[in-house]
Amino acid sequence: MKDFLTGNHAVAHAVKLCRTPLIAAYPITPQTAIYEKLSEWEASGVLKGIMMRTESEHSAMASCIAASLTGVRTFTATSSQGIALMHEMLHFAAGCRAPVVMANVNRLLAAPWGFWADQLDSLSQRDTGWIQFYCENGQEALDTVIQSYKIAEQVYLPAMVSLEAFFVSHFMEPVDIPEQEQVDRFLPPLDLPHKFDIDKPGFFVPVVSSELYRKYKHMAQESMDSVKEIAVKVDQEFKEEFGRGYGMIESVALEDAEVALVTAGSITSTARLAIKNLRKQGNKVGLLKVRLFRPFPVEAIQVALKGKKKIAIIDRNLSLGSGGIFCQELRATLIHSPDHPLTYSYIAGIGGTDVTPEVIQKIAMEVMSRTEPVDKPMWVME
Amino acid sequence: MNTNHEPSSEYVIPISFGSTEIIETGNWGFLKPQTSFMTAPCQESCPAGNPIPQFLYLATDGRYHEALQILLRENPFPGVCGRVCFHPCETDCNRAQYDEPVSIRSMERYVSDVAANQPLNLKPVRNEGSKRVAIVGAGPAGLSCAYFLSLLGHPSTIFESQKEPGGVMRWGIPGYRLPKSILRKEIQRILCLPIQIKTNIIVGEDISFDELTQFDAVFLSPGAGLNTSLSIEGEDLKQVWMGQDFLGRINSKEKVTLGKECIVIGGGNTAMDVARSALRLGSKVTVAYRRTKGEMPAIRDEIIEAEEEGVRFEFLIQPVKINRLQNKKLAVTFQRMKLSGLDPSGRPKPIPVKRKFITMETDQLITAVGEQVDLSWIPQDLIKNGLIEGNPSSKIFGGGDAIDQPRTVVHAISSGKKAAISIDLCLRGESVNQVFSKIKVGNKGAVSMGAYLKGREDGEWPEEQRIITYEQINTLYFESSRRVRMRKRSDDKRLKGFSEVNLSFTSKEAHFSASRCFSCGTCNYCYNCYFFCPEGVISLDPVQRRRIVDFEHCKGCGTCAKVCPKSVVVMKEVG
Repeated sequence: MKDFLTGNHAVAHAVKLCRTPLIAAYPITPQTAIYEKLSEWEASGVLKGIMMRTESEHSAMASCIAASLTGVRTFTATSSQGIALMHEMLHFAAGCRAPVVMANVNRLLAAPWGFWADQLDSLSQRDTGWIQFYCENGQEALDTVIQSYKIAEQVYLPAMVSLEAFFVSHFMEPVDIPEQEQVDRFLPPLDLPHKFDIDKPGFFVPVVSSELYRKYKHMAQESMDSVKEIAVKVDQEFKEEFGRGYGMIESVALEDAEVALVTAGSITSTARLAIKNLRKQGNKVGLLKVRLFRPFPVEAIQVALKGKKKIAIIDRNLSLGSGGIFCQELRATLIHSPDHPLTYSYIAGIGGTDVTPEVIQKIAMEVMSRTEPVDKPMWVME
Repeated sequence: MNTNHEPSSEYVIPISFGSTEIIETGNWGFLKPQTSFMTAPCQESCPAGNPIPQFLYLATDGRYHEALQILLRENPFPGVCGRVCFHPCETDCNRAQYDEPVSIRSMERYVSDVAANQPLNLKPVRNEGSKRVAIVGAGPAGLSCAYFLSLLGHPSTIFESQKEPGGVMRWGIPGYRLPKSILRKEIQRILCLPIQIKTNIIVGEDISFDELTQFDAVFLSPGAGLNTSLSIEGEDLKQVWMGQDFLGRINSKEKVTLGKECIVIGGGNTAMDVARSALRLGSKVTVAYRRTKGEMPAIRDEIIEAEEEGVRFEFLIQPVKINRLQNKKLAVTFQRMKLSGLDPSGRPKPIPVKRKFITMETDQLITAVGEQVDLSWIPQDLIKNGLIEGNPSSKIFGGGDAIDQPRTVVHAISSGKKAAISIDLCLRGESVNQVFSKIKVGNKGAVSMGAYLKGREDGEWPEEQRIITYEQINTLYFESSRRVRMRKRSDDKRLKGFSEVNLSFTSKEAHFSASRCFSCGTCNYCYNCYFFCPEGVISLDPVQRRRIVDFEHCKGCGTCAKVCPKSVVVMKEVG
């Protein structure tokens, strides 16, 4: 059924369709609409689960972890300062191998205070051991939440689905809401082997020796690596059931491209239009959309960008003292490329500033004319 | 205990199936939680020192029999007090500052009624050197004294001038407030103890005062049975009656015929009882009082119920003359009064408004302006200001309405209890004052028989408890609620006889009313500490009423103290 929905409400629909019995959350702009919608459904009985209104995001995540370890599906949603406050528990979720699914609405981190789109909040949690997806629009956010459960519950790692503040969270678009039977067919019930068992009382998170710690981290890394394969498989299964798929990355007009743009999130939609315009003008520019950020799809990107001479990465985020975070990842991915492409880092859209097709076209044209490498990130200050 | 802490490698995370109990984390802290009970303000203001939070906790738990037994330890008349007490406990109830006070009086009545047929479970102490005590008057004070003396192992003999025991409860308070069957049951419960009662015996006539002194001790609680005279012209007319005589006749089931209209003089409980009884005999009743409603000494509920039933009130008038008219009616002349300054007791003083008089016609006038003690048979050295004053050195004690204290049933009970303890101490040659300071309940005069019995037996006297204030209650843990009003007999049925006006709570209402108690200063096993304890080291046993902390594993974090709604858990430094 198609409906005209905001990204936030699309996420709420996904959570409901996944029959998530335990939601623990704390409201924060611009995520609150997810919380409110689920709350409303809980009150009216549409949502057959428990909604825990916790006193903080830290507690929300702690609740999700504990509930997850009893073997039930869990969900939380947060943003910005909320995910920052959750930080400690994010490590716990991954360390406990709890397949919690979380929606994060990308909002800038204070200070200065603001509510606008910026990916730094979730990107600065990249080392916490969570699977991370970046979505282009509401439909993708809905679908990715459903896919995330299926992936997370196979590898026993938590998954985070990011959508940008306002550009995705609040913009209304036609969204196809899957039928419940379809989702039930696609997503099997959770069967967690390492759950609390009343008949066999145990204690989780005990002190372990150095060697054991290393062993469990190594096991987690192997599981995280396997996500690249499993996520592709799940996406294919999704496509078979629902007729839509996204891949871990997406190549747009890359084949003959002289310049490849790399984007993640909502800027991708704008870039699609910019590419069309550039192509019309006869400029061979292509686009690589990165949807999966953790694990970083190194091999797939290496294949997709093989032979490209110039690559421009547009980051709506900034690691102060370094640069765009997607750019760092991409440069690391291409380090062994035999032809050493030139990679240019553009910082655009920070703090929710608008990134128009013209801005993207300008970046592409600038890169076309460049011949020398630039180490530093270049700020787009339109 | 499984002490294998090696985590299982069966899963993707380490899970230990051993126990961490072996690690005595209790050694890490230097603070430990301790239970430190406080006295609730309701209990402090109850002259009988009723253990109110405790009995309400048991009632909440449906343990009515236990609730009654702990009430009976301090008060042999819960059924009476649950109906007629002026309930200072409710005035001082901490919950009154939050929403509405707990219905303590109604709950006392409910518990007493529900568990009434249960036998008395209190065992009198074994007392080798038991003594014989003479008691004059079988009212609430005399019966209480006999009761508590029995618990302390002393038999007593009560000399009662009337044909039945009960005093003011039997002959004064009308049945619509206190059904005789309830009173009878409570008296029977007392008289099962080793108490001898001799009715129709008037001291000074049938037995001399000297004969009393042959007992090991004497308790004088003859009550205040003499009506106070108005000392005005016309008071001796035959349509002018005395309130106590009137109530006595009704309570003797005598047929009393009243005129169509009746004026009652006075503003106390006797006046209210007279007015409402007169209504039930078909009269149109007006109460005339020389101060205003605010100064009426009657219990507030009584005034409200009198108004509901149709009693009219005339304030700031005082009768000065009664004439009999040709038509056999009375013409009562009243002096108009006004309030000015305070009298020695601190109440607003009524003074006459010069040359302002009003006259009212009536068929009947009943006076109820106070009672006095008949002292004709009492030796002079025991009399002070028209009241009895005991003399412990000659083992003579006084109580009830005949001594200097407020004239209420519960004060009478309290005086009986205190006298019983004093007598026990005197007969055993021990200091009264020293022990009383150890068994007091707060600072308003109540003492605890429970504390006395325990201290007397094993020398363990309770530590002095502070009174818990409203500010010390963590009200975040309570939901605001209205108190339940007791259902009343419908207006049309109420005035047709002397059936009880207040109908009891339903079991649901009772449970709800009891559960509204904050349990100030005591533990009611709310399980807050249990649920919030991050270490899981607290165990509670509501049946045995125990709270146990595993100190070997308590780190002394203080969470339990913080979340206790009644502030009874305090952190104390150890080691």
